[in-house]
Amino acid sequence: MTVFEKTDDSVVVIIGSGAGGGTVANELAKKGIKSVVLEAGKRLDSSDMENDEWTMFQKISWLDKRYSAGGWHGSVNHPTLPAWIVKGYGGSTVHWAGVALRFKEFEFKTRSTYGAVEGANVEDWPVSLEEMTPWYEKAEMKMGVTGKTTGMPHLPWNNGFRVLAEGCRRTGRTDYNSGPMAINSVENDDRPACQQIGFCMQGCAIGAKWSTMVTELPRAEESGLCEIRTDAMALKIEHDASGKVTGVLYADAEGNQHLQKARVVCVAGNSIESPRLLLNSASEMFPDGLANSSGQVGKNYMCHTSTGIYAVMPEKVHMFRGTSVAGIVGDDVKHEPARGFNGGYYLEFLSLGLPFMGAFLEPGNTGWGRSFSRAMEQYDHMSGVWALGEDLAQEQNGVTLHGSEVDQHGLPVPIVAKTPHNNDHAMTAHMVESTSQIYESVGATDIYELPPYPASHNMGTNRMHADADKGVVNAYGQSHDIDNLFVSDGSQFTSSGACNPTLTIVALAIRQAEYIAQEMNAQNI
Amino acid sequence: MNIRFHRQKKSKQDHIGVSRRMFLMTTAMAGVTTSAMLGSATRSLAAPLDAGQDATLLRMVQDIYPHPDLLEVSHYEGIAATVTTNTEADAATAKDLRDGLARIDAQADALFGMPYTEIEDPDAREGVLRKFQHDGFFQGVRWTAYFAIYNNVDVWPLFGYQGSSVEHGGYIDRGFSDITFVPQGPTLEERMAAVKG
Ligand SMILES: Cc1cc2nc3c(=O)[nH]c(=O)nc-3n(C[C@H](O)[C@H](O)[C@H](O)COP(=O)(O)OP(=O)(O)OC[C@H]3O[C@@H](n4cnc5c(N)ncnc54)[C@H](O)[C@@H]3O)c2cc1C
Ligand code: SF4
Repeated sequence: MTVFEKTDDSVVVIIGSGAGGGTVANELAKKGIKSVVLEAGKRLDSSDMENDEWTMFQKISWLDKRYSAGGWHGSVNHPTLPAWIVKGYGGSTVHWAGVALRFKEFEFKTRSTYGAVEGANVEDWPVSLEEMTPWYEKAEMKMGVTGKTTGMPHLPWNNGFRVLAEGCRRTGRTDYNSGPMAINSVENDDRPACQQIGFCMQGCAIGAKWSTMVTELPRAEESGLCEIRTDAMALKIEHDASGKVTGVLYADAEGNQHLQKARVVCVAGNSIESPRLLLNSASEMFPDGLANSSGQVGKNYMCHTSTGIYAVMPEKVHMFRGTSVAGIVGDDVKHEPARGFNGGYYLEFLSLGLPFMGAFLEPGNTGWGRSFSRAMEQYDHMSGVWALGEDLAQEQNGVTLHGSEVDQHGLPVPIVAKTPHNNDHAMTAHMVESTSQIYESVGATDIYELPPYPASHNMGTNRMHADADKGVVNAYGQSHDIDNLFVSDGSQFTSSGACNPTLTIVALAIRQAEYIAQEMNAQNI
Repeated sequence: MNIRFHRQKKSKQDHIGVSRRMFLMTTAMAGVTTSAMLGSATRSLAAPLDAGQDATLLRMVQDIYPHPDLLEVSHYEGIAATVTTNTEADAATAKDLRDGLARIDAQADALFGMPYTEIEDPDAREGVLRKFQHDGFFQGVRWTAYFAIYNNVDVWPLFGYQGSSVEHGGYIDRGFSDITFVPQGPTLEERMAAVKG
């Protein structure tokens, strides 16, 4: 495997090997550009993936100290686990479920569509769906997304989704299907077809599901142009007197510190660690943190307005058999102010295993007793959804640094604060009502509404904006303040949209790699 | 958890009597470090209890996750034994469990004039326990019971959960789409046609 000198200042240093970082690394390699990926977690491969919820949670989750604050469920139910993120080779694409949806046009233009929303910091993206469409297509080809772009059929419908789909049909819905998913329905790209194993969110044991762990990272390494250092936690980004970034200080597994020199730095540590790193990199020249002249680093944290809803059906369903997210309902993805909220939402069939159902049906201290236990006994009769919709950015929702507590590297612990907007409450009520109607039409007897899970979609904390006063990065993820510093992950999002973020993260990363190559060739960076 | 249209069945008589088989619990699982996921309560368990407190603990474990139609009393005895065993190492928190169980009985006495184990109405017993649900000793017992029941491969079949499937080639030939009360999904040909053109 290629090893670059730490003094080699011609490399692009990429922090994080997930959806954003892994994609940028492989795309740069394809263009002949050298990179070093610093990944805080350990090396993982498909053989590490076990069909067990808690075993995998322990094995791959980011469990460094973090706090939840603010008025959301997280403060009460998940006080030290605001978000559910992977720490390892592949980042959260190891346990993502594979839903690969595009933003709608209006979702890139939320300020123009919704107007100014009280209490929210709603803005337009500096890109449109039209501009993004070719990049979405490239992302869908790369990831093997089922649907028209690749010509791969959507996956077969499993029990749990068939119940949901029939409810959709009976209630007059039309937009429901078992895709688009970045899961092979047929052999593709040297990866096998899905065997309906289940446990997609514990990592696919056979590589049918796209992840940077099975595609981008090994391919980048094989190119000879990319070195991936695992157990390498980036601590601080350094810069010179002109303000250009020059390298990244990181700690290895033994806690020894090293400085990797860089020509360009791409930050892709997911939406909590990326702003944390920029804030921790404050210097005399940049006292508020790197790339933070707008004051927006760490602000506008979004994680989707969401809730889990499980219906008890008259017969057995065995929802855990097969793909974890086996179908998507899109009828409610529209902006219709008469509903009493801005933006739209998806309903995605989602199975949980018995252990996670026991932990999430009623999280916190109160999830026990007779009605809880009765619900658990109905487990094999359940079908359910994860409903997720547009989460309006609010400036006070975000990532800040703890005043006194530090982690194992001596860095201030991040505090993730979030308080829902009234929009969230109105949308959640609508989600529960429509899901209930769908399942009732197929004979549901009981319906359980779960509080949100620890955040799995994290966005917005280094937002994109055309105006350098209102955002951290431009339309290419390049920081407004420092030309050779990029943000390559979901923290770039200006708004959350209703859909799962990863396809958009990957599309932006492909586009960004092209821009970086162009700017490097032009000697602009 | 908000429940809509919940139709609560009458509970059958709780199983009593001799265990059919030894309860297989992986004590390792009970000690699993999932505190990040499971919230803030700190584990605080105690040293061996007297006979009365043993009975209180057993009843408590049964009332936390009552599955009288699915689990034998021996399952719950295994959990109670694990709780006590776990405390043997830690004298400081041993007291916590003993005190906690004593407070449960004091509360039962104050409300119903009898020990907790003698209250017949399961909802009334649950009401007694609710007062203590945010306490460390309670959550220690509760999470031990959680792992022993819902994260226990030996118990899963009783709930209709089949768990790991990769070693069996997945569910593709094992019923991933076998229900008959709703229509079939589209065939491969239909799914292929839908993505063309
Ligand atoms: C259970 C679950 C299911 C999901 N399902 C879907 C889905 O179906 N569809 C979808 O679109 N999205 C899904 N997601 C979300 C998806 O996983 C994320 O949106 C996506 O992976 C985020 O990409 P990222 O590049 O921002 O960060 P990540 O993929 O999380 O990668 C960040 C990486 O950076 C590393 N890192 C962080 N800080 C540092 C540092 N200082 N130094 C070095 N390395 C660092 C981390 O260890 C991690 O490996 C799901 C998430 C979860 C939790
Ligand atoms: S259901 Fe399919 S995609 Fe999901 S883990 Fe199994 S084989 Fe992989």
